[in-house]
Amino acid sequence: MDLRKPSGYFFTLLGLILSLVGLVAPDTRAPLTEVNVNLYSGIAMLVFGLVLLLLARRAAS
Amino acid sequence: MTLHAVDYLILALYFIFVLGIGWYLKKTVTSSAHFLTSQHSVPVWITSLAFVAANLGAQELIGMCASGAKYGIMTAHFYWVGAIPAMVFMGVFMMPFYFGSRARSVPEYLKLRFDEKTRGLNAISFAVMTVFSSGISMYALGLLLKLVLGWSFTASVLVSAAIVLAYTLAGGLTSAIYNEVLQFFLIVLGFSPLAILSVSRAGGWDGLRARLPMVMTSAWHYVNQSSENPMGVEVFSLVAGLGFVLSFGYWCTNFLVVQRAMAARNMAEGRLTPLIGAFPKMFLPFIVIMPGIAAVALSQMGLNYALPTKGAGYDYDQVLTTLMAQFYPSGLLGVGLTGLMASFMSGMAGNVTAFNTVFTYDIYQSYIKKDAPDAHYLNVGRFATIAGVVFSIGCAYLTALYNNIMDLLQLVFGFVNAPLFATFLLGMFWKRTSANGAFFGLLSGTLAAAATHGLTVAEGKGGWIAPLVSLHSTMAQNFWVAIAAFVVCFVITTVVSLVTSPKPVSELTGLVWGVTPIPREKNIPWWERPALLGAIAIAAVIVLNWIFR
Repeated sequence: MDLRKPSGYFFTLLGLILSLVGLVAPDTRAPLTEVNVNLYSGIAMLVFGLVLLLLARRAAS
Repeated sequence: MTLHAVDYLILALYFIFVLGIGWYLKKTVTSSAHFLTSQHSVPVWITSLAFVAANLGAQELIGMCASGAKYGIMTAHFYWVGAIPAMVFMGVFMMPFYFGSRARSVPEYLKLRFDEKTRGLNAISFAVMTVFSSGISMYALGLLLKLVLGWSFTASVLVSAAIVLAYTLAGGLTSAIYNEVLQFFLIVLGFSPLAILSVSRAGGWDGLRARLPMVMTSAWHYVNQSSENPMGVEVFSLVAGLGFVLSFGYWCTNFLVVQRAMAARNMAEGRLTPLIGAFPKMFLPFIVIMPGIAAVALSQMGLNYALPTKGAGYDYDQVLTTLMAQFYPSGLLGVGLTGLMASFMSGMAGNVTAFNTVFTYDIYQSYIKKDAPDAHYLNVGRFATIAGVVFSIGCAYLTALYNNIMDLLQLVFGFVNAPLFATFLLGMFWKRTSANGAFFGLLSGTLAAAATHGLTVAEGKGGWIAPLVSLHSTMAQNFWVAIAAFVVCFVITTVVSLVTSPKPVSELTGLVWGVTPIPREKNIPWWERPALLGAIAIAAVIVLNWIFR
């Protein structure tokens, strides 16, 4: 098993969920947070997940 | 702190993936060696991250944030002084002997290098200790989830233990290691936002320096005298006790971490494992310690945030979760909580997989049943996995009921562990070191550790023989206990070795410096050369120390 695949899928899904929350409810805030932190971390995780999937794909071909 | 549907969804997603990885790896388990040692099948980037992740348990995460709030940036010494040099030493100098010996575990190396009694001492104390420490961290997690989320202690302990059991039982060590890497990613990605948000809210590093007392933001300025810094340690015991004896003892001889390097595909990758791991390790303080330091500054900024309290003092162990409540909205909160669960699981799986291997090979196969078919040992390994988890749960409840007994046990195991590095150092680098030298050196080192504890007093602890010396903190006491154990073990091992007969050199091939082939480093690219990578890691860590001096 190439671990990059399951990890990639996990973080892609996680990133999608978080970005979606950030888009649907952009005003969700914790007491000390001033930015849409769900959206930003969601995008970061999505990118990380996609990079892992890309690396796995390149290694397979 | 309240969770919403999306937070539970994230937690569920994580559970599905860890179980899925375990289930998928089930078919790779065809022998006891596959189950317990991975049969040298794991790529080096995975062993390196697992090497770091197995040590990154929930207690570590909670404790490092707590220490950040209590001691400031000096906490980073546990990484920059107390881990990186030892990891480099392990990769450059010690892995050739672990690999060359073909031992399946650290106790087995001791058996090959010395004799049966040294192995027995190490195997039994290690097996018991792993179960206890896994139980103690389970207790810490259950308590935290109860306090923060109101979850039932029993439910959170049983559910998380059941998941760890399911995936380690299915895919063995490989499954534990693969999941440790997923967990490592999740911890880093789940807690980086907390570090970024909390530190930037407090005005960045400059803001922290302006708001906090100097001693909180300097790692080296206040270590000349133990009375000057909140850790109560001075530079000699810090460097010799933590940086040398304790850290080399842990990173180079503790089977929990060594096992990850032993799972690498070949000696070259085994040597690279701790060296590559050193790089993510040296940057972890920014994720796990910085939020704690920032919490102190935030509590002084009139933001309606106060450090958590318990009775008259601060409850530092809750700093991490109170910060999460302040900075993480629903969604990211689920990720943070899942990261906490992930760290607990990677720590526990590390303990359980080390326990089952030592039990099966070093206790069962050595003392109970020697010549059984392999399928028998595979079953014993599986049984030991279940037993390890069940014992851990028992220890979690024991800790809940009798906190003092667990403290005492940890202290005693600390005495047993303290001298170990002297034995390995002499055993690996001096052919003359004899089996009796090693055994009696270890025993006297343990006694020296106990005696040092009995003769020193710190924060009301120790001094049970006679309170001769008073130290500023139990941490300093720990460091001095380790130093005494190391010195006594080193001297006694040397003296006894000189008057007893050594093993014939023919039996030492692959085990000792000088009679073990070390792979040449020519003709391989620079990023695969252990000595060069080690030098880069040391240089980088010196720069970090200088920046935060």
